[in-house]
Amino acid sequence: MPLRDYVIRRTIIIVPTFFLITIVIFTLIHLAPGDPTAIMGGPRGLPPEIRDAIKREYGLDQPILVQYFVWIGKLLRGDLGFSYINQQPVWQMIAERIQLTLELLLTAEIVSIVIAVILGVIAAVKHRSITDAACSVGALVGYSTPDFWLAMVLILTFSTQLKLFPSSQPYSVGVPFASPFDAFLDHLRHLFLPVVSLIILWTAYLFRMVRSAMLEVLTHDYVTTARAKGVKEWIVIYKHALRNAMLPIVTYVGNSVGFLLSGAAVIEYIFAWPGLGALMVQRTELRDYPALMGLSIAIAIGVLIANLCSDIAYAMVDPRIRYD
Amino acid sequence: MFRRSRRNAEDKKEKVHRPSRATRLFVVLRKLKKSEMAIAGLGIVSFMSMVALLAPIIAPYAPEWKGIARQAPSMEHFFGTDNLGRDMLTLIMHGARISIYVGVASVLIEVVIGLSVGMAAGYFGGIIDEILMRIADVIFTLPTLMMLLLAVSMFQVRGIHIIILVIGGLGWPFLARVVRSEYLSFREETYVEAAKSMGATSWRIMVRHILPNILSVVIVIATMDIPWAILYEATLTFLGFGDPASSSWGVLLQRGEEHLRTSWWIMTFPGVALLITSLGFNLLGDGLRDALDIKLRE
Repeated sequence: MPLRDYVIRRTIIIVPTFFLITIVIFTLIHLAPGDPTAIMGGPRGLPPEIRDAIKREYGLDQPILVQYFVWIGKLLRGDLGFSYINQQPVWQMIAERIQLTLELLLTAEIVSIVIAVILGVIAAVKHRSITDAACSVGALVGYSTPDFWLAMVLILTFSTQLKLFPSSQPYSVGVPFASPFDAFLDHLRHLFLPVVSLIILWTAYLFRMVRSAMLEVLTHDYVTTARAKGVKEWIVIYKHALRNAMLPIVTYVGNSVGFLLSGAAVIEYIFAWPGLGALMVQRTELRDYPALMGLSIAIAIGVLIANLCSDIAYAMVDPRIRYD
Repeated sequence: MFRRSRRNAEDKKEKVHRPSRATRLFVVLRKLKKSEMAIAGLGIVSFMSMVALLAPIIAPYAPEWKGIARQAPSMEHFFGTDNLGRDMLTLIMHGARISIYVGVASVLIEVVIGLSVGMAAGYFGGIIDEILMRIADVIFTLPTLMMLLLAVSMFQVRGIHIIILVIGGLGWPFLARVVRSEYLSFREETYVEAAKSMGATSWRIMVRHILPNILSVVIVIATMDIPWAILYEATLTFLGFGDPASSSWGVLLQRGEEHLRTSWWIMTFPGVALLITSLGFNLLGDGLRDALDIKLRE
């Protein structure tokens, strides 16, 4: 199958997956007994007539299937609904924050992939050496570290004690900047601690994958053959081994996007970084469920696109996959 | 005479074909013993479980005991006191009970669902398989924390059991996928065919012939998922979706964050406890995986 057909087929599969995702998200939100008006208005609750008015307003008095189809219908027309809390359109909330989230994610993801690949290759090539052991133990510790705790430790050392980097918000508030460049530097300083937390966590996670993929590839016959033919060791490693190990690595990275996003939400929350993850946590506290559903759909679409990209990248490097 | 000789023949045959269960267990234990990491993991896990079990006896103070608030670590209070004057070491010991309980309980739920779904998908095949696996894929690819938040957000009551239910209820897809593929590969074995030809029901084949063979994979995945369950519980309670009155490590860490700038010890020690516990289970999981020689494929 030519690559173009594979891409088309792979893209079409997104449609049923997307509908399944909407079902999963809708079910999760409606798992709890009762309706959201029961928990609005704090411990004393709302008077029944106001509850009924809210239910009518948001269509909560309809049967659950009708609610689902109404929601899907609006979703397909690009209408994510309005927040319970401030009546802001949900898509607008997302649009305002998505840039900050992407900035954080992409910076951290690129840096951690680079570090993880370099360290992973070194560890696999020097299998069972001190370097390998040190990297592996380090990665296991990083892998076991609670993300929010790591963020607090970084804040405690670099912000509270050393006063090197600010610990919250993407910009300094109320400080006049001499030039746009100063403002940019200030932004970078704010970006530093959240990005470093994510890099530590993600590198630990990705390193384990790269190392095991490399170890696997290095046992293949063509590596032995290349060595036997007298090919230089670094060429064996980069041309013969790493190129083939990149295949599973690309899939792993694509598949782990969802996992990585979970950590990012917590990091955003702790550093008061007003991105999608922090918004998600905050709206969960407020039980603002149109916002929650809209946000989840937006995040799910992001994950779908990331998976699509990684699958296409895989098919581009490895023609075998297209014949599945 | 006849009977006896037949039994002997059977014994011999069994020995030739595969080592007995005890021998296999011995081989695994020997491999585990060789791996220092696995031993370290087992040590940490046993230590933490002992602390959790014996917390009411060995804790230096009662959990309700209150002294002077926010004392730095000293000989009287090794880990200091929190903002209400309670002894941090005591609270952490009692928190271990919650963490270990959550880890084990939610993974048990996960195993029950994962086994049932994986076996059902493999057994029925066709459209049921397709639907179950698509659902598993979706749950597997979506961010776990996002789904946990969605599921937790709508419950009126907040507490440890909701969290266990939610973590276990969302954790099964990977296990289900592995169980399904293992089931499919074991279904082709000759002994399954033999059992079938002798009229064994499919239930019996599943439980008596296939389940024992995939048990080791299930144990490894379950062990590797316990630290995640523990970490997600701590994360959820840290974010304020647990029971604020409990001494879960997540609650202690939440308090630690409030007093981060004045009392570093409130947030440091529960975090270290969490890190060590999850490291212990990860080491044990990795060690078991290597000792049982399992390649986790999907």
